[in-house]
Amino acid sequence: MADPNKVDPIHQFAITDVFSTGDGGFAFTNSALFMVLTVGLIIIYMLGSTASRSVVPSRAQVVSELLYDFVANMVRGAAGSEGMKFFPFVFSLFMFVLVANMFGMVPFFFTVTSHIIITFALAMLVFVVVIGYGIYRNGFKFFKLFVPAGVPAYVLPIVVPIEIVSFISRPISHSVRLFANVLAGHITVKVFAGFIMSLGSLGVLGFLGASLPLLMTIAITALEFLVAALQAYVFAVLTAMYINDAIHPSH
Amino acid sequence: MARPQDDQGRPDSAKEVTRDLASRIASAKRERAIEDNRASVKTSPEMSGMARGMRIGTEFIAAILVGAALGYFIDLGLGTRPWGLLILLLVGFAAGILNVTRLVTKMNEAAPPPPGSDLGPDVDEDDR
Repeated sequence: MADPNKVDPIHQFAITDVFSTGDGGFAFTNSALFMVLTVGLIIIYMLGSTASRSVVPSRAQVVSELLYDFVANMVRGAAGSEGMKFFPFVFSLFMFVLVANMFGMVPFFFTVTSHIIITFALAMLVFVVVIGYGIYRNGFKFFKLFVPAGVPAYVLPIVVPIEIVSFISRPISHSVRLFANVLAGHITVKVFAGFIMSLGSLGVLGFLGASLPLLMTIAITALEFLVAALQAYVFAVLTAMYINDAIHPSH
Repeated sequence: MARPQDDQGRPDSAKEVTRDLASRIASAKRERAIEDNRASVKTSPEMSGMARGMRIGTEFIAAILVGAALGYFIDLGLGTRPWGLLILLLVGFAAGILNVTRLVTKMNEAAPPPPGSDLGPDVDEDDR
């Protein structure tokens, strides 16, 4: 914040260059830095905790195994055992979103998933995979996804465009959901934290009043941790469901 | 004063304590099982009202946005100024409704109402 008396809840999402190779050249931004940190933490933790492969697992290994079981059950439940082919994909997405969200909860850290271009890139990745695998596996039958069974032929000209728009809307809703949850949560925390400062500067009475937004900030921070984990789960479970559509393209 | 009383009552009270402890462990286990169930229900994502609302909202809005964008670009390409946007906006709206109905159907299947709950006057007993 440039001006300490002015609360600017949007400032936390600003992208700045950590270093760059001149104007228009390659720029390593804070967003890129935190993506690298996220991936680095995941790799170090997962490799480090499972390196010993002990039968009686250490605490770190238990956490890794729980994460594995959790995602594996989710993929199996949503996409069947054939969907387990995509387990590495879903697990990577889940871990990336989860760790990026959790990084965002650390004060002064940049939240990678609060920028829609990143969540949109993740969602498009999912959809390229879904469409690519769907056509590869089912060939032309994949397009049956747009033609629901049991619909008379004369309403198909209306139903098919609706189904196509509905399908294209998925990457949008997939990315907007994650982005909007994270963005809204972080702004809310900042706004309430700003109230503490403004009220606190009003003397004794303001000091008492400032305790209310303080309580609120604490509560919302706790809620944000829940949202961070929940949105990672929702992102992964929907990815698994879309992959299920690619494997079985019929409603 | 307290010591003789203690010596006298020890075998009896020890047995008592053991039995008491066993029943306390059993009841604590029961309570924890109930609590675990409740926690898993509370934190399961389909149960979180905020997450549910967010999903329904984005599914609906996204379809309308996609419809409008498609219509706009078709207009740009073909020069059919208002018609593509108008028609595809409506198609997008329909797709949004379709998304929401599909989602809500799935959610209802995932979380059936508890037996004995009042579903309104027009619901048959067999439908539950």
